[in-house]
Amino acid sequence: MGTHLKTAAIDHATARRMEWEDRLLLSVSLIIPLIGLLLFFLYPVFLIAKRSFIQRDGNFGLSNYTEVFGMSHIPTVITNSLVMSSATTLLCVTLGFAIAYAMQRTTIRGQYLIRIALILPLLAPSLVQALGLIFLLGRNGVVSQYTGWNIQIYGFWGLLISNSMYALPQAVMIIQASLRHSDSRYYDAALMMGASRWRQFIDITLPNAKFGLLSAAFVVFTVTITDFGNAAVIGGNYRVLATEIYSQVVGQMNFNMGAVIGIMLLLPTLVAVYIEKVSSQRQFGGSSESAIPVTREFVPLRDIPLAAVVHSVGLIIFMIVLTVVYASFMRLWPYRMEFTLANYNITLSGGYTPLWTSFIVSFQAAIIGVVALFALVMAQRRLPRRFAKAIYLLAILPVGVPGLVLGLSYVLSFNAPGSMLGMLYGTGLLIALCNFYHFHSQGFLTMVAGIRAVPPALEETVSCMGGGVMNSLRDAILPFMMTTLVAVFFFLFMRSMVTLSAVIFLISPTLSVGAVSVLRLDQAGFTTQAAAFSTCIMVSVLIALGLMKLILFRLSRSRASVAVVS
Amino acid sequence: MKRLKRNAALLTTVSTLLGMTLGLSAYAGDITVYSSLEEDEISAYLAAAKKDLPDINVNVLRLSTGDLGARLIAEADNPQADVLWGFAVTNILNPRINSLLEPYAAKGSENLPAQYKADDDTWFAATGYMGAFCVNIPRLSAKGLPMPNSWQDLTNPVYKDEIVMPDPSSSGTGYLQIAAILQGLGDEKGWELIKEMDKNMAQYTTSGSRPCRMAQVGEYAIGASLSFVAMKGIEQGYPIEMIIPADWAGYELEGSGLIKGSANAEDAKRFLDWTLSSSAAEAYSEYKSIITIPGVPRTTLADMSGLPENLSDILFPVDFAKSGQERDDILNAWRAAVGR
Repeated sequence: MGTHLKTAAIDHATARRMEWEDRLLLSVSLIIPLIGLLLFFLYPVFLIAKRSFIQRDGNFGLSNYTEVFGMSHIPTVITNSLVMSSATTLLCVTLGFAIAYAMQRTTIRGQYLIRIALILPLLAPSLVQALGLIFLLGRNGVVSQYTGWNIQIYGFWGLLISNSMYALPQAVMIIQASLRHSDSRYYDAALMMGASRWRQFIDITLPNAKFGLLSAAFVVFTVTITDFGNAAVIGGNYRVLATEIYSQVVGQMNFNMGAVIGIMLLLPTLVAVYIEKVSSQRQFGGSSESAIPVTREFVPLRDIPLAAVVHSVGLIIFMIVLTVVYASFMRLWPYRMEFTLANYNITLSGGYTPLWTSFIVSFQAAIIGVVALFALVMAQRRLPRRFAKAIYLLAILPVGVPGLVLGLSYVLSFNAPGSMLGMLYGTGLLIALCNFYHFHSQGFLTMVAGIRAVPPALEETVSCMGGGVMNSLRDAILPFMMTTLVAVFFFLFMRSMVTLSAVIFLISPTLSVGAVSVLRLDQAGFTTQAAAFSTCIMVSVLIALGLMKLILFRLSRSRASVAVVS
Repeated sequence: MKRLKRNAALLTTVSTLLGMTLGLSAYAGDITVYSSLEEDEISAYLAAAKKDLPDINVNVLRLSTGDLGARLIAEADNPQADVLWGFAVTNILNPRINSLLEPYAAKGSENLPAQYKADDDTWFAATGYMGAFCVNIPRLSAKGLPMPNSWQDLTNPVYKDEIVMPDPSSSGTGYLQIAAILQGLGDEKGWELIKEMDKNMAQYTTSGSRPCRMAQVGEYAIGASLSFVAMKGIEQGYPIEMIIPADWAGYELEGSGLIKGSANAEDAKRFLDWTLSSSAAEAYSEYKSIITIPGVPRTTLADMSGLPENLSDILFPVDFAKSGQERDDILNAWRAAVGR
């Protein structure tokens, strides 16, 4: 209660002091990202939604909906989807919390290994990951060849593993943002009052991570229910809704029926209403300007089992991705296992050129994304509750749209002659925008989780001292948010490098990206070349990430020295 | 000051990057072609076309049949291509695609038998492909299984969990296989065979080439797929054998046509004429098992796959128009019969 009153008071106080420059800055930082969301997300999705009501006879009506629900296999498909997504969510949030906790609060060794292991699935197209899983655990895979075990990877378990690999890094990113900046004084006080470590965990750590956990669960659930790539390769007879969209749109060219299922898949995102409510509740653990970071200690009973779990997960991911890398050096997997570099001589027309296009497109997506998201999150915090709420819901809706649907909706929206929007069609910039809005929700939720940890008192101090929005940004918010901003930047960058489902509809004869080359190689039957191309993507992105980190490190050091001098 | 400079530098970089990706437009003599032919075929054909049409620059967007179909429908209000080249005729007959095509009787189409072109000249088919099994020899012998030669053979319980085929509801290949069986055996016996075969089926895949890919790496012994996928696998050295089912080998024609409202219609027409020319036919014979252009000598591929001299013995005349209309009914019946 008290906190609500307090915030209201601050809002009034700051509002009075706000000069017109501040207002301008805030309006711009609200309006531009908002226009972006309207143009590049809401409008395309509206066109698709409209399609779902266009009946076979060309009139508007509900017959597509009744037809989809009337299909005999749909109930099973819906149940499968719900079971699969729930299982993946449970697994990813549990493991994701364990990993995030281990990396933020413990002294467990080899954390950099986990960090790399979590980057790998973001870097490999899901097609390739599923391939790695088959090469490793398939009926004729490495494991069954050496042990003679009869592993059934196709179906529920295979899909659970590959979905988890896809979603886990995203879960960790969000949960980690919410565990960053915690105040050790809460823990000290609890200790003083005789609370056991377990009690501290239950009463301090968990409640503070609640928003992160919920958001992560939301993201995992929605990305698995909308992802089609894994289900197509490893799902076997385990049919899910995303495969059904593919069957309708790609298999039977029933565009409008596919749209119906696409709209259905937006339903789970309604849970977001509840998450938004949690997000509006103040966080208590870290919201202090004089917060003392929690000191990491070694607690054997906690850390040894935790390390075992965390490193096993990392190991499994490494194994699957390394299998792909290994296969890329084999002459003919699994029959002629001789080392060769021949697969790296890409015979596909265009060769490695699309990889460079990918870099440009991904860089654009990441830059536009971080700036737009940060502006939106900042502006949204200062808005009246009900506006903030609407923006919030809009911002996390994109995760519910399958890539296939988003890509087609972009064609419908931007293949318009003679309009400003039409000029974007066939450009790399449109691919960049599509990639950004495809992963908008994950970026937004991570930023919100991160900004909740910024001490409000600090902002208050800055504005009390006469600082405007710019000052409070620079002195209070940016230092706290830097890690999160960088995380979101890298996330958008990496996802843009490999995402495929939407992009496939936006490439042109003269403009293609690396992920499409992987798909084309696989479709043309050059499986090992596809593995080789993916390996190139992984290695080049890792190098790019390393370089960007280095630059950031240099920048932050020079800034620190400037501060000392002044 | 320093910061300002840095910001300015950043701005320049970003705007350069933006500029690089904007402003791609077609020049005169350029045509845009959408195709579902295979990658290596396209490069070979284009190399041949360049010799005959040196002044035309052909830009090809290659997507799988399903993806390309979805894209064509989505782009319908403002078509981006001038030519549709080598696209499954079953899909061309879908009214949403067919309405995008402009009637044009390409030079040479007058020589094509009637079943290989549209009555209204919206499309013609110069090539085609057919259904084939990929059989993994090491896996087959390790399991002590006999070599299958027909769909009927696949109902033998010894093959339980060793066969994969595409799902007809998501793959055109799967559909042509089912349709061939039904057309060959009649509805009653056809469904019976499909149900019997289902008992052995390990899984139905989303993509039409996936079954062969699975068979070639030894995941399953038999993958029901397409002739060119099998040939590609053999060429790469996988220990597989291609079997054209002796009973009902389904097939699909690859149709081409002119897109309505093409801005480069003259060049587009010249390209379409070329796809029926003798030099095109010569290029096709390197890759294709079915070539409809009369007078083209039998291909090496056809020899290798043991196709009969007279293709019409196994390629019963498919009524593509009818089969397109029946599609929904067949798919519903398939789901009821198979229940997966």
